[in-house]
Amino acid sequence: MRQREPTVSEPADATGAQLVLDVLADEGVEVVFGYPGGAIMPLYDAMYDHPIEHILTRHEAGAAFAAGGYARSSGRVGVCMATSGPGATNLVTGILDAQMDSIPIVAITGQVRKELMGTDGFQEADVTSIMGPVTKRSVCVRDVMDLERALRAAFRVARGPRPGPVLVDIPNDVLKARCPKMDYFAARPMPPTCERPDAGAIDEAIALLRAAKKPVAIIGGGGRSANATHLYRELVAMLGIPHTATINGLGCAAPGDPNFLGMLGMHGWKAANQAVHAADVVLALGMRFDDRVTGKPDKFARHAQIIHADVDASEFGKIVPVKVALRGDLRQTLGQLVRRLAENPISSFSSWALDAKALGGALPTDRAPHGELSATDVLDSFFALAPDDAIVTTDVGQHQMWAAQRQRATHPRNFITSAGLGSMGFGFPAAIGAQMANRKRMVVAIVGDGGFQMSIAELATVGRYKLPVKILLIDNRRLGMVRQWQELFWEGRYSHTDLSDNPDFITIARGYGIEGERVEDAGELRDALERFLRAKGPTILHCACFPAENVWPLIPPGATADDAMENAFKESEPVPVVA
Amino acid sequence: MQLSLVMHDWRLLERIVGLTNRLGCAYTKLNVSAGDAHYLATIDFTGPPDALRRLDAQLTRLLNDDKEMSR
Repeated sequence: MRQREPTVSEPADATGAQLVLDVLADEGVEVVFGYPGGAIMPLYDAMYDHPIEHILTRHEAGAAFAAGGYARSSGRVGVCMATSGPGATNLVTGILDAQMDSIPIVAITGQVRKELMGTDGFQEADVTSIMGPVTKRSVCVRDVMDLERALRAAFRVARGPRPGPVLVDIPNDVLKARCPKMDYFAARPMPPTCERPDAGAIDEAIALLRAAKKPVAIIGGGGRSANATHLYRELVAMLGIPHTATINGLGCAAPGDPNFLGMLGMHGWKAANQAVHAADVVLALGMRFDDRVTGKPDKFARHAQIIHADVDASEFGKIVPVKVALRGDLRQTLGQLVRRLAENPISSFSSWALDAKALGGALPTDRAPHGELSATDVLDSFFALAPDDAIVTTDVGQHQMWAAQRQRATHPRNFITSAGLGSMGFGFPAAIGAQMANRKRMVVAIVGDGGFQMSIAELATVGRYKLPVKILLIDNRRLGMVRQWQELFWEGRYSHTDLSDNPDFITIARGYGIEGERVEDAGELRDALERFLRAKGPTILHCACFPAENVWPLIPPGATADDAMENAFKESEPVPVVA
Repeated sequence: MQLSLVMHDWRLLERIVGLTNRLGCAYTKLNVSAGDAHYLATIDFTGPPDALRRLDAQLTRLLNDDKEMSR
């Protein structure tokens, strides 16, 4: 890396570690999530009397997921840090999670001294190479004089235009090295440019919409990243168009919008999938046609011409052919569409929207044995009782899909889930990050018994900082989604999905100073939920649910909306017993 | 497909090779030369047309981020 001259000619008055913290503060960072260790000790020493708040997680993976939850819920860059070797490798999943969902994170790792790099030194790992494929960029800074520039660039690249994670690996001796303080304001980067879509492409898109009979709009995570929710709501209201969302786009639709068809995809609402299947034009906004959305790509929206708006040109035509590509910042794109359509309106599609809504009905569910708790009943009741502005995180699995189907998020930053990577262990630490970014809001982590045990040590984090995170534990004593697939696609061979020897979660939580209660009787659910929502500090509600409940509908992988499976068990049949 | 790629961090070659392999493509010729503050890689890729198109698009994204990091 090239060296740069200091901009202030004072004698050495800072260390690399102090510089890191000062740059973080200047970039607006108020809190970092991390775990100390040998190589990163100089940075932790500097943090001892620095105003930046540090949240000590109990595993580096928790730090990365918490940084993701912080960023997802606030739109600000999340920062996590760890030491060299195992500390850094433990960050990998959380960083890839951010990469898959375009979440801005800066990860800072300590590295062994430069003289030890490449010698298989203690806790040495080639972190920048390991992180290369899971980040937008990963760099090792070998000279303290390059440190500020690298950090500024990391924040700039993390923020966009398409957000994502960046890793900065800093050898121990670079953190200790003395350097002149930099002129921070001179080095402060410009914000990412907001590209505007080509005007001709906007014309083409409007012409397609004008000629359409059955258009459907789909919003993805780009709506959240671009802070474009208000413009999206304005556009779909102007058009009267039926619309749906990927899991990352949930919350973009206005609450109560009658034309919103619910979530799209493998476990999406029938009306949403059928409407896209029948559409003649699809207006795809800030989404990337994930296989959990498209199923079989060549059958996805097969009658439709697709208008695709995205900030990342590499997404155009990646999975499905696109008729019109609108490259640019989604807020700019939506703003232009709204302006143009206000000047020259299109007849409302509200009649088609009614027809589209009629393509599906209520969500199909399985029956619980008499008196037993059903997970879907728990979630229906929870979402009915929770305040409108609650932030909900989920882990991964059946409870995630049930929650995504039922959520009532009023904003896309209020429903936080590991979508692209599907990382179990995400939900609880992500809630910690969300709570740190939204200290006065209610934050609820909906977790399953499998994923919760992957990050259960973070109970200590919640207990230590007295974060009022609420944990809604949907415990079916199974790795439920895998069990469901074993039942449906693997002839009921329930290989290693039985968790019936789960621990006593309430006793464990109490060990960390967190109160809670267990509910297993359907008749006790509502009162228990009300107590849970009223509790002031951290709390857990352990819902012991019957294990055979499945997520419906289900479009099998590689299939189409016409192949959707609904609950297989008739009302007259006995509830299935799971081995 | 031949691409001439400007890299500011020469380690990007590792990413390019990894991505090429992941998309089911390969390279048949690779030449890298160092300039003042960048490296120029000329690479001949082979593979299915769809995969090459995706590779081209993803390399563009990768190089944009590299350019930003070098500013």
